[in-house]
Amino acid sequence: MSNAIIPLLLDSLASAALIFFAAVGLTLVFSVLRVLNVAHGSLYSIGGYAAASACLFIASQQLNPYLSFAALLLSAVFVAAIFGPLIERSLVRWTYGKSEAVQILITFGLFLILEDLQRLIFGVQSLYEDAPMRLLGTSSIGGVVYLNYQILLVGMAVLVVVGLRLLINHTRLGRLFTAVVTDREMAQSIGIDTNRIFILAFSLGVFLAALGGALSTPTSGIAPGLGADTMVLAFAVAAIGGLGQIEGAAVASLIVGLARVLAIYLAPSLDAVAPYAAMLVVLLIRPYGLFGSVTARRI
Amino acid sequence: MAFKNISLAFARCLSSLQPRFRLNWELPHANLRVVVDGLAGALVIGVVAATPVAAQDKPNSVGLGVFTFTSGPAAAYGMPGKNAADLVIDEINAKGGIGGVPVTATFVDEAQGAQGVIAEYRRLAGDTKNQVMVAALSSATCLALAPIAEQLEVPTVGWNCDTHQLLMDGKSKYVFRPNGNTVPEFIAYAIYLLDRKPDVKTVAIINPDYAFGHDAAKIFTAALKALKPDIEIVAELYPKLGSPNYQTEISRLTTARPDVVFSNLWGADLENFVRQATPRGLFTSSQVVLALGETVLQRVPLPDGVIVGVLGDGWWMSPDAEANPETVKFAEAYKSRFGEYPVFPSIKMANALIYVKAAYDAAMQKNGGKWPTRAELAAAMKGSKVATLTGITQTRADNDGLVDQIVGVTVKTSAQPFPVIGDMVRYKGDSLMPQAGQDPLAWISTLKPEFAKSLPKPGSYKIGER
Repeated sequence: MSNAIIPLLLDSLASAALIFFAAVGLTLVFSVLRVLNVAHGSLYSIGGYAAASACLFIASQQLNPYLSFAALLLSAVFVAAIFGPLIERSLVRWTYGKSEAVQILITFGLFLILEDLQRLIFGVQSLYEDAPMRLLGTSSIGGVVYLNYQILLVGMAVLVVVGLRLLINHTRLGRLFTAVVTDREMAQSIGIDTNRIFILAFSLGVFLAALGGALSTPTSGIAPGLGADTMVLAFAVAAIGGLGQIEGAAVASLIVGLARVLAIYLAPSLDAVAPYAAMLVVLLIRPYGLFGSVTARRI
Repeated sequence: MAFKNISLAFARCLSSLQPRFRLNWELPHANLRVVVDGLAGALVIGVVAATPVAAQDKPNSVGLGVFTFTSGPAAAYGMPGKNAADLVIDEINAKGGIGGVPVTATFVDEAQGAQGVIAEYRRLAGDTKNQVMVAALSSATCLALAPIAEQLEVPTVGWNCDTHQLLMDGKSKYVFRPNGNTVPEFIAYAIYLLDRKPDVKTVAIINPDYAFGHDAAKIFTAALKALKPDIEIVAELYPKLGSPNYQTEISRLTTARPDVVFSNLWGADLENFVRQATPRGLFTSSQVVLALGETVLQRVPLPDGVIVGVLGDGWWMSPDAEANPETVKFAEAYKSRFGEYPVFPSIKMANALIYVKAAYDAAMQKNGGKWPTRAELAAAMKGSKVATLTGITQTRADNDGLVDQIVGVTVKTSAQPFPVIGDMVRYKGDSLMPQAGQDPLAWISTLKPEFAKSLPKPGSYKIGER
């Protein structure tokens, strides 16, 4: 088993990166809007479909394959630009200040609509385009061949954590987010356009969800049903980290990634329950999650 | 007619009351379910008995309930089945239908889960136009529907239904499986593997985490241990059905350094696994066996030398298939309509429909050309021997099918832009099946290396040599 320690750690990091991308958008939206967006998983898979379609178009037109990296990013921007303002203005804004049950019912309805919409547009077969994965090649580490794309994803996850922290702490937009999170009414009374902040925050959440879906596509393709699985895992990670806590989501992703990988290496039959067992243990000890608190919420 | 509709509505209401019984009554839920199912079934049977088909009038159309996955990750396997059903039914109707009656199909999506599928089955069974059900793909669905088929006395043909547990009690009157099952399917892989790689010592398994995956692992392992007792299973992984990502599993398999990796992943799961494992060198570091590998040959660039098969004889390029003009015509028509050649789930569905048509023809021949009842159709299926697109399916006394097993390895040819199956063997269906009523695992444990030696060898199944 000693020869498996390096692969185990690397797999944990790679797995955590993918899990983090699935969860960070959900936690960001909750921190600013205080809305638990059940349709988050669908937005993740729409990002995947958009990226796969763009990469397939590049391949079919025999364009420079390196354009597929740009396509991954731009497809997430495209999805966020379309769906972010549309969903926030048409549905989510009606749920502000309402009970969690109303929020969950409305976003769950949206989830069902988006899932069927994807099926109508993209059909039931899987879509694949793995050019970004192939272009980066492989590396042998600890006797195991890894995709360099997996390592890139770890780097991207770190970049997103650092980028979000910089955005929130060192930009005007971040300070506006913080003001709205701290006291919505006070922010409104001093002239902050909270409607605009909500649109921007929700669209940023959609972008992160779509980016997660787009980045996962080169290795795992995209198929119907991905949205529901992603949603459940994202909730578990958000709960472990503390709802609304970005660094919490990062640490929770590491915990869940490590739990899953340990299960696969040591007790494969526990693979499916490992993330939820980790959630149970954390919530028993810290009911508000690792970084959550009862009184004050921070981004 | 009004009575029939009221009865059916009442039967459905009774079924929907099941959860309430559990909440409000202090009786065991299982007992109540039997009572409620019984009442509902009795009503449907009563309605069916009072309708014109019992009097053997020729209907305006032959209805078939066809159960498959048309959504979700399993649709990658289920849709080729549906496509084949559409094509075969069109061809039957173009030739005048069954006994001059056109065939219509009602497709039921198995992705809705057991409760929904059962409700749909009852609804379709209540319509006497639907005399036969072609159900189903998933072993779980087949196991859930089997008792209802017996209760409602509706001939039900398992077009896929791999689990060996389906007909184990030997008492089935209305459930038929004109296919192989997990026992011959996975013994075939063990024998082929040992013939091709006799020095194998370590094996790792990665199968989906439900009955099909676990049953296959048990049967494959038991066969390997019986035929070569020193084989060691170094890893057994059961990822959740529908997992998109296998990177950690691939690392785990690589660190176990097995001689052989065996998998019966299927659908989108299999495509994902192959796409992720290929660049990471798993196919070069170990001999890989993909039990359902044929389904992805046209979609994923599988390397040479991977052991693949078709869980039966449904390989559209097999020597028998290529020698049959009907099969060649079917494959070309399928390709022209759906853009790719029929994978083995398509062939299984086509063969199941051929089996149903043969039962109608046989039943009508036996009763002097009158339209057959459901009971007469079931009697015609029992013990039947039907020529299919890819061979012969023989139905035993326990309603289980005997179908040959084709296994081979991936090879490149100039004939197709994708890998095909080469170095093939075709094992006789009955040679890999225990007797009716015999415990399969106990039977497998009695197998000896001499048994494998008596069977045909890899490469023996060629054009003109059967």
